[in-house]
Amino acid sequence: MFVPCGESVPDLTGFTLLMPAVSVGNVGQLAIDLIISTLNMSKIGYFYTDCLVPMVGNNPYATGEENSTELSINAEVYSLPSRRLVALQLRSIFIKYKTKPFCEKLLSWVKGSNCARVIVLSSSHSYQRNDLQLRSTPFRYLLTPSMQINVQNKMKSLNWEEMEKSPCIPEINDSEFCVRIPGGGITKALYDESCSKEIQMAVLLKFVSEGDNIPDALGLVEYLNEWLQIIKPHSEDPTVPSLRWKMPSSWRLLFGSGLPPALF
Amino acid sequence: MNSGVWEEVGFAKLWNEWCRTTDTTHLSPAEAFCIFYHLKSNPSVILCQCSCYVAEDQQYQWLEKVFGSCTRKNTQVTILTCRHVTDYKTSESTGSLPAPFLKALKTQNFKDPACCSLLEQPNIVHDLPAAVLSYCQVWKIPAILYLCYTDVMKLDLITVEAFKPILSSRSLKSLVKNIPQSTEILKKLMTTNEVQSNIYT
Repeated sequence: MFVPCGESVPDLTGFTLLMPAVSVGNVGQLAIDLIISTLNMSKIGYFYTDCLVPMVGNNPYATGEENSTELSINAEVYSLPSRRLVALQLRSIFIKYKTKPFCEKLLSWVKGSNCARVIVLSSSHSYQRNDLQLRSTPFRYLLTPSMQINVQNKMKSLNWEEMEKSPCIPEINDSEFCVRIPGGGITKALYDESCSKEIQMAVLLKFVSEGDNIPDALGLVEYLNEWLQIIKPHSEDPTVPSLRWKMPSSWRLLFGSGLPPALF
Repeated sequence: MNSGVWEEVGFAKLWNEWCRTTDTTHLSPAEAFCIFYHLKSNPSVILCQCSCYVAEDQQYQWLEKVFGSCTRKNTQVTILTCRHVTDYKTSESTGSLPAPFLKALKTQNFKDPACCSLLEQPNIVHDLPAAVLSYCQVWKIPAILYLCYTDVMKLDLITVEAFKPILSSRSLKSLVKNIPQSTEILKKLMTTNEVQSNIYT
């Protein structure tokens, strides 16, 4: 459930909700971190749930002493009212059997707060691509029917590739075709629930492998930016993407502590 | 607990795969307990000894049962826990850190100063201490977590002594007697737990 930081529940009518799926390489979560950090979004509440493994730490977006001691938990909501953007960040994995209840609770909150649309940032295993996908861009989009009505033309003008259908049961020749997102965590479940509840949802994903996924996250936010124009678009500003998006202080030491000098 | 008279007032019973069977005649797995005591001279002070592992899918229910029965108003929570020093992320090598050392995390509504430095980014805390602190942060209960990073796997005097600074904190100092003699008292409490080495007998 959503619990506000302050006394009153903020009005999110007409806002665009950006959220990650906990997926391969954690690309969606890294991308949301970049968005919250770059836009300096303010925390407006918590999504308190028994569906995610608990964790706490100090403010992951700290820029100095004065804001480094605010406690953060595993699911928090940030907003930027001037751009009508709200972001949900998920920082831990799902507890067994809790993915479906989470999807239901989340979408019920989305409907209740009158958000205009939801954009899910996700990823899928790059080793599962077919021959055509191997030769094309690694980015894909997916829209629920109610979202298609509004933005299909925009997607066409951006020359984006829609996520292809593949055999539901990969080894069976005459299997039906459906959208599969291996490694995408709850992406498919969220998408299916949104279709049936007529929620306007878009999924933006990248085919990735596990490793240093910071470049993948930068790629995914640039892809999102082509559509939403969160920061100045690429053609007007030729600087490298990593300089235009601000990496949060919590990204330090992603691959562990310093090494003992005696090792060398 | 050595300083006052504490009375057992309840327990939380749970079972998970981490519980060890100590009873060899009955093969059913042992249940684990978290025991709650209150201070006889001041029953509003409650202490919980949690000597079992509360699994991730039990933590939420544990919280609801424990905190659901007490009022959120005028409550302050202090959590003490330990982690191995290799869990601590720093730009130096963890081998060079002065273990054991204490770090703290506190909720927005906890206004007193901590007895040690706060846990720096990008370090995080998991398990039951994180579940309790999350609950307190969301429901605006003042709470502080003291986390001791230690380089030993078993209970030892040096690790326990690392918690000494918190005995002088505003919330705990009225509960503890004889702080200067605490090292001696701790030694006595701990010898009962030590396994006598019998390599040379």
